[in-house]
Amino acid sequence: MKNMKRSICLILCLLMALSCFSAMAAGKIKIGVLVSDATSSEALAFRAYYTEYIAKAYDVEFIYSDELTDAAGEKSAIDNFIVNNCKAVISFSSFDRPAQIDQCDAAGIYYAVATGTLTDEQYEEYKDYEYYVGAIGPSMDIEFQTGYDMAAYYIDQGMTKFGMFGGGVPYYVDMHIYRAAGMLTAMVEKGGEGANYKGADNKYAIIGQIYQDGGIDTGKIGSLELVAYVGGYDFNDAWFGKLAQMVGTEGIEVILTVGSGVDVLGGFVAGSNVKLATVDSFTPAMGEAMKSGILDYMAGKYAASVGPIFVATYNAVNGAPIRDNDGNALALGQGFWVATNSEQFSEYSAVDSSNTDPAYTREIMDKYAGMGVSYDDFAAFVSQYSFDEIVALKK
Amino acid sequence: MGRQTLKERIPAFASVIGLGVLIAAYYIIGAVRDANVEYGLKAIVNQSVVVALVATGAVFIYTLGSVDISLGAATGVSALLGAMTYNATGSLWLMFFTCVGVALAIGIINSSLASVFNLPIFVTTVAMMSVLSAFMLILIGLNGKGDTIKVKARDVRPLDTIEIKVGILLAYIALCWFIFTLLPTGREAKFIGGNPLCAFLSGINEKKLAVIASLVSAVGIGLGAFLSIVYAPTLNRNTASSIGMDVIIAIVFGGMPVSGGPRSRILAAVVGAFSMGFLSQIMSMLNLGSGYGQMIKAAIFLLVVFIALGSRRGKLLTR
Amino acid sequence: MKQPSWLKKLLLSLLIPIAVFAVLEIIALVKGVRLFAGEDSWKLFFRAVANVTLTTFALSINLDSGRFDFSLGAVSMLSATVAGTLAQEWGIGPWPTLAIAVVAAALLGLFHGGVYVLTRIPPIIVSLGMTLFYEGCAFAFTGGKGVSLVTRTDIIGFSTIFNYILLTAIAVVAVIILFDNTRFGANYRALLSGQKIAVETGIREKGNALGCYAVSGALMGVVGFISLANTGSQQLSLNFGSIGIMFTAFLPMFIGGWIGRYINKRVGIMLGAVSMALISLAFARFDTASSVQSIISALLLVLFLIYLNNEFAILSKFRKKQKVSEK
Repeated sequence: MKNMKRSICLILCLLMALSCFSAMAAGKIKIGVLVSDATSSEALAFRAYYTEYIAKAYDVEFIYSDELTDAAGEKSAIDNFIVNNCKAVISFSSFDRPAQIDQCDAAGIYYAVATGTLTDEQYEEYKDYEYYVGAIGPSMDIEFQTGYDMAAYYIDQGMTKFGMFGGGVPYYVDMHIYRAAGMLTAMVEKGGEGANYKGADNKYAIIGQIYQDGGIDTGKIGSLELVAYVGGYDFNDAWFGKLAQMVGTEGIEVILTVGSGVDVLGGFVAGSNVKLATVDSFTPAMGEAMKSGILDYMAGKYAASVGPIFVATYNAVNGAPIRDNDGNALALGQGFWVATNSEQFSEYSAVDSSNTDPAYTREIMDKYAGMGVSYDDFAAFVSQYSFDEIVALKK
Repeated sequence: MGRQTLKERIPAFASVIGLGVLIAAYYIIGAVRDANVEYGLKAIVNQSVVVALVATGAVFIYTLGSVDISLGAATGVSALLGAMTYNATGSLWLMFFTCVGVALAIGIINSSLASVFNLPIFVTTVAMMSVLSAFMLILIGLNGKGDTIKVKARDVRPLDTIEIKVGILLAYIALCWFIFTLLPTGREAKFIGGNPLCAFLSGINEKKLAVIASLVSAVGIGLGAFLSIVYAPTLNRNTASSIGMDVIIAIVFGGMPVSGGPRSRILAAVVGAFSMGFLSQIMSMLNLGSGYGQMIKAAIFLLVVFIALGSRRGKLLTR
Repeated sequence: MKQPSWLKKLLLSLLIPIAVFAVLEIIALVKGVRLFAGEDSWKLFFRAVANVTLTTFALSINLDSGRFDFSLGAVSMLSATVAGTLAQEWGIGPWPTLAIAVVAAALLGLFHGGVYVLTRIPPIIVSLGMTLFYEGCAFAFTGGKGVSLVTRTDIIGFSTIFNYILLTAIAVVAVIILFDNTRFGANYRALLSGQKIAVETGIREKGNALGCYAVSGALMGVVGFISLANTGSQQLSLNFGSIGIMFTAFLPMFIGGWIGRYINKRVGIMLGAVSMALISLAFARFDTASSVQSIISALLLVLFLIYLNNEFAILSKFRKKQKVSEK
């Protein structure tokens, strides 16, 4: 009995102390953030930008979901946001976007998509929903182009033997499939006459082929060759063995990865002559990898790239949603920064990782926060996402 | 045997006291944080009902002294096949029967392996979990529409109500309570869980009970799968994946020993599932961030279990 | 009953790994693939032997005593995170980093054991709580970033065949000495076979349980470091994402139990791990899809258990048939 009483007291005291601590945030605008990835460097960079810069600059409170793994988790998390009186939801999770929009609309809270877009059909259906703010991020076309540019960069240097790490391809992760398709399309287009991937010789056929197979086959693509491929995130001995084998494949010159490649391949690539190209973020660890020669090419979303969608959401919550002339929600593309050497990386990283002077500062964003911001002005602002354009904006 | 004093009875209700503490904390923190507690109660029911259903059925397995960690994967496969059936036929009834039927088939395979080949249930379920998880990925591949299998939300929305969910849960609890309390099955299961050797010498057929336990549990899995589709009709390879762990936690939160035996109770699962629901809401209201939040959640979890176990601690270390 | 000769014992002990090797070699021949094709293959094989042997020891130490432990993966992850972070900050080499990982993991194991002993909550439940707690700690400790040591060639350079063999050998010898040749081990065995009697005869159950958790933790510290040195990074998981590693240890544990009839059980576990490592190598060499790997591994586990639990019936049928054919 004594133990029970003590435990009850302990739990209540602990919870009360925590609630008093968290009550300090009461009165601020609360925004729920749905995340399906809580641990990748990219996800951490976005989170740091929101919680360490934006939250202070705009006096808002971000409530993050747990790491979500399915649509049911998304629905529960939005319910939790509603319980917490969140005024808006910014979503980094895409298991069921239409369901998220419907749920937020029914609850009368604003909803925005960060680092992604809706499909054309979905946009047509939801563009005039009152509580749908819009989407800013790389469209599937931009994802495709990212993969294409990465492969083209090496093909143009005369390299012919490639390896590929397919990440979420076996799990049918759209973003990864489009990047992989971009890489294969570059090989087909630059592989000489008659080059094809399993008979597919154009973007759409290649995308269809990958969706059909749930994987990628090695083989010749015209004068080029995909000599090795590993997909998935098994993290078991066999999988690590496959990765090591890929690096050791005879003649392999470069490994193209559709997602973060350094964390899984860095240890094997170190000390070899194989180049590594990846899609990741501008963290110090990646910078060191690039400096040491382990990483050769990096396409990355910069942390502050999620700034504009916050501004749009903030405006909506404050009664000034940004809509086009027909009253439709935002649908804006945003691309990656690409670094191909250590100096370039350091330059990007210095701007990207600052908590006091990030790529998009309050000063820049305030120009678009508030009443009377036109769709076109905002679209023009978002479209200036390259490093040089952002540096120019800061001036 | 004299009548128990209040002090002696309290440990039997320790899990309910644990739930009471969480409810009290929920309201207090809700008030401090200016939360919408009324909506929160609905959310808790929505989030807890599937775990409550699966855990209620699983009480039969746990009572026998076995642990089944393939429950999540079984729910996932049942839901995927149910959704595929609906997409092929457009019939919600067929979807329902497929969910329950597939769960029963998995239950029969599990119990057959355990009873015909004398395999330990836990290890069998470890193997089944791997097979079923792989099977989910294969099903999604066969479906050929990206990384999900979807049922149109508007088709299942009419069923996505608290009344229907609670109705299904209550009906299933009533069924389980009847089998567990009023039929010899529950008594025999408790006997086996408490003292398998003695139960064997008394002529109780453990294999028969293992099959019954698997089948009753399978009905809960099937219902859980059906309600999973109703709740979130876009399914993927992770659908219901956390249920295996949630069920263990719910059963212990509910004050039932994982070793089964005479202290097993049907309602333990429901109390535990709702305790988890309240704890999850409290953690969400506290907004502590992933790392620290999970640490505090773990500490509260252990403290609540400590309360729920009451004074049932012997001289020897529990195994 | 006549005891089998030492030669027969040795042959029976090696039966499973040799049979696995033979089957895989035949499949490799049919597929036109070499099972051991260069240093990478050998490295994979010995790394898998080390990982699986140590994880199986860590699991079986407590599981044999009825203490189920889901937290093995979380202990491995957190200890590698702590060691990797300190290696980065202090610039220390692989062996001191390994030592830190082992000490940190032993302390984590001890803490886990302490919670279990003090609260008397069933071990499986304590392990669930500790899994959540340690995953949260690793996240909080690094702000979710994990550890990246890909540029530390000295630490990545630790991943050599010699070091894998050395670590496996040290672990096998240490576990054999501790559990078969010390008073701690004798008490452990006494508690294992008769908890109540052992406690009544004065064996300190709590101390023994704490020791088991610490040893189990230390072994997972080595596993964590092997993983860290292999890829140069330690990624984090939340919400029970770390428990998967434990499931790889069941089949070698049962194989080890069977081989343990003919040879020391710990050596049996190592031979079970050798069999599993051969299968992992084959999965890599044959480029087997993840879902197929899961199904094959599960089927092997079930088939082996079916044999193990029905051995008497199977062998008597086999012997009957043999007698009939001899007549």
